[in-house]
Amino acid sequence: MPSIYVHPLPVRIWHWINALGFVAMIVTGVQIRYVGLIDLMSFRSAVVLHNWIGLVLIGNFFIWFLFYLFSDKIKVYHPELSPAKHFRASFRQLKYYGYGIFKGEPNPHHVSVYHKFNPMQSMTYQVIMLLLVPLQFYTGVLLWDVKRFSGMIDVLGGVRVVDTLHVLIFIFFVGFIFIHPYLASLGHTRTAHFKAMFTGYEEVEDEAGHTPLR
Amino acid sequence: MTSSRSNGTAKKTTFRADLVIAAKLALAALLAAIGLTASAAGSVLSEPDQQCLGCHSAKGLEKKLANGETLSLHVQGPAFAASVHNMIGCAGCHADVTLKNHPPVKTKIATTREHTLALTEVCRTCHADKFKLYEGSIHAALLRDGNPIAPVCTDCHSPHAVRAKAARESITDVPCRNCHGSIFDAYAESVHGKARSQPGNMSAPICADCHRAHDVSAATTGDQLKNACLGCHQGALASHQTWLPNAARHFDAVSCPACHAPAAKRKVDLRLYDNVAQQRVAEKAGVPQFESRARLADVKGAGLDAMALQSLLREFNREGIDNKTTLRGRLEVSTGVEAHQLAGNAQAIRDCAKCHRQGADPFQSVTISIVGPDGRPLRYGAQQEVLNSMISVDSVGGFYAIGGTRIKLLDMLLILALLSGVAVPAGHLMLGWLFRRYAKKIREQEASRRAGAQGQPQSAARPTDADAPK
Repeated sequence: MPSIYVHPLPVRIWHWINALGFVAMIVTGVQIRYVGLIDLMSFRSAVVLHNWIGLVLIGNFFIWFLFYLFSDKIKVYHPELSPAKHFRASFRQLKYYGYGIFKGEPNPHHVSVYHKFNPMQSMTYQVIMLLLVPLQFYTGVLLWDVKRFSGMIDVLGGVRVVDTLHVLIFIFFVGFIFIHPYLASLGHTRTAHFKAMFTGYEEVEDEAGHTPLR
Repeated sequence: MTSSRSNGTAKKTTFRADLVIAAKLALAALLAAIGLTASAAGSVLSEPDQQCLGCHSAKGLEKKLANGETLSLHVQGPAFAASVHNMIGCAGCHADVTLKNHPPVKTKIATTREHTLALTEVCRTCHADKFKLYEGSIHAALLRDGNPIAPVCTDCHSPHAVRAKAARESITDVPCRNCHGSIFDAYAESVHGKARSQPGNMSAPICADCHRAHDVSAATTGDQLKNACLGCHQGALASHQTWLPNAARHFDAVSCPACHAPAAKRKVDLRLYDNVAQQRVAEKAGVPQFESRARLADVKGAGLDAMALQSLLREFNREGIDNKTTLRGRLEVSTGVEAHQLAGNAQAIRDCAKCHRQGADPFQSVTISIVGPDGRPLRYGAQQEVLNSMISVDSVGGFYAIGGTRIKLLDMLLILALLSGVAVPAGHLMLGWLFRRYAKKIREQEASRRAGAQGQPQSAARPTDADAPK
């Protein structure tokens, strides 16, 4: 099966650090929020770990950001400017996941170097990478030292408002951390996309090479 | 009117007292000049004072007042001789007493309190600076409000036995305990009180070191007490930062005794805060609004709930700038007695889970407060739910303790996210499994159609009746 290089090394490094970091942030975040219900570690240890891992993830984010900022690969994040075209393609993709995949229909999205995301991924990752992740980092930094950033916190409505925003995004990522690997398992084989995220090479299926969901 | 009259009296008294003091000081200087030591001069009563004490040192000398009270006229000679007031002598304060009008049979003294208040004005003549501080104190505010037991100078400083400050710092000689007995007892058992009880230990704090002697402010308003702690424990923030995340925030939102009085019951006080003036909202004298507004908002009378709290805040923001008034929370101990039960560092609370867990003790009791006209806080009870309600995100925006005051709705959303995270993949897999036969049939039909289109027989792939959906 032919393959193309769609995941450059900096993106793969960022992705796996981010993946491990997000799992760790969710675990420590749950421990911080639910002392007594979960006792994996002490509250203080969870806070200290959460803070350090958060700082690592902020640094890691800039690997992703700077790579795409200075690479023509940024085209993968270029939005489809025609809403009608975008939503038509998104609906086609949704129909594939909701129906076509069971029949073994081919994925309507064909991966290429500059179009590695299907229309639904494209929209989702724009929101995640350019809005939710930065917002989560920003609110996290504010909560890391509430006194130092009290001016900004007050502008946002107070520490409870900032924390609520942080927790709402956390809740989104809890759902995401389950669904993302599952969707990644819907390639032409269960492990195809996982392998690609290690090697960088995505196998491109031909028209007849699709397999149904099992 | 009252004020100008008292001022007039004070001026006359001042003039006469000044003359007496000047004469005394001149005498002291003269004695010093001829070789007598100051201490010898200070412990000997002058001849006129000895004359006064000729009568007033008699035990049991007293005067019956019209209201039935008894005014003691007894003065202990040795104590007065040893006091700092020996220097000014009897006439220094009792300058209105002359041979013609004494004993003051013509002067009616209505009550001992009235007599005390009148003589307090005399203190001002020499101690104007201290008097000014006193007038800004909670004690003076209580006096102005007509509180009959509000302390004045002579309630704390025995006028005939006043000693130099350095000489009366023993723990057993603190006048504060006369009114604040239970608090003093708690202090005496605290780490500070025990240290102070050690012979010769004058460095451990006593009442006035934290609360100040004359400009005593209400304990739960302002930063004075926190600053008093940090005045001695200057490295406290740095030492807390070595182990306590967000230590500076804790210093703002948690009172010192909340952790350092481990046996105390804790509560949350949500304080109305003026963001423009950058200080707590204070009620103007004669314009009581807080309690009436709180009662109006508290429709059920069970304490302010989340909606009622929003309504109260709206009332305070009705005029002027939006969000001028917000709430700032502070975790503190429930009573003044508990605030003095300070333990040693080893006993202080270091377990974060004491507060950062659901149902934690400090978040079960909530009050809303403003500063009253006399400087003391005015409080109104609120329901515990105001700390956990989604409705309070805005109104209680300034107070949040992770875990302890977490919002229940967010917990439900998290459960929903977890269920979705598991159910979506599981449901999708299940659909794939359920439709596997149908999918196989369709694939075979399509393969057959493609083969047919290419003119090649595909009998093996052709669907049979057995494959048809039942």
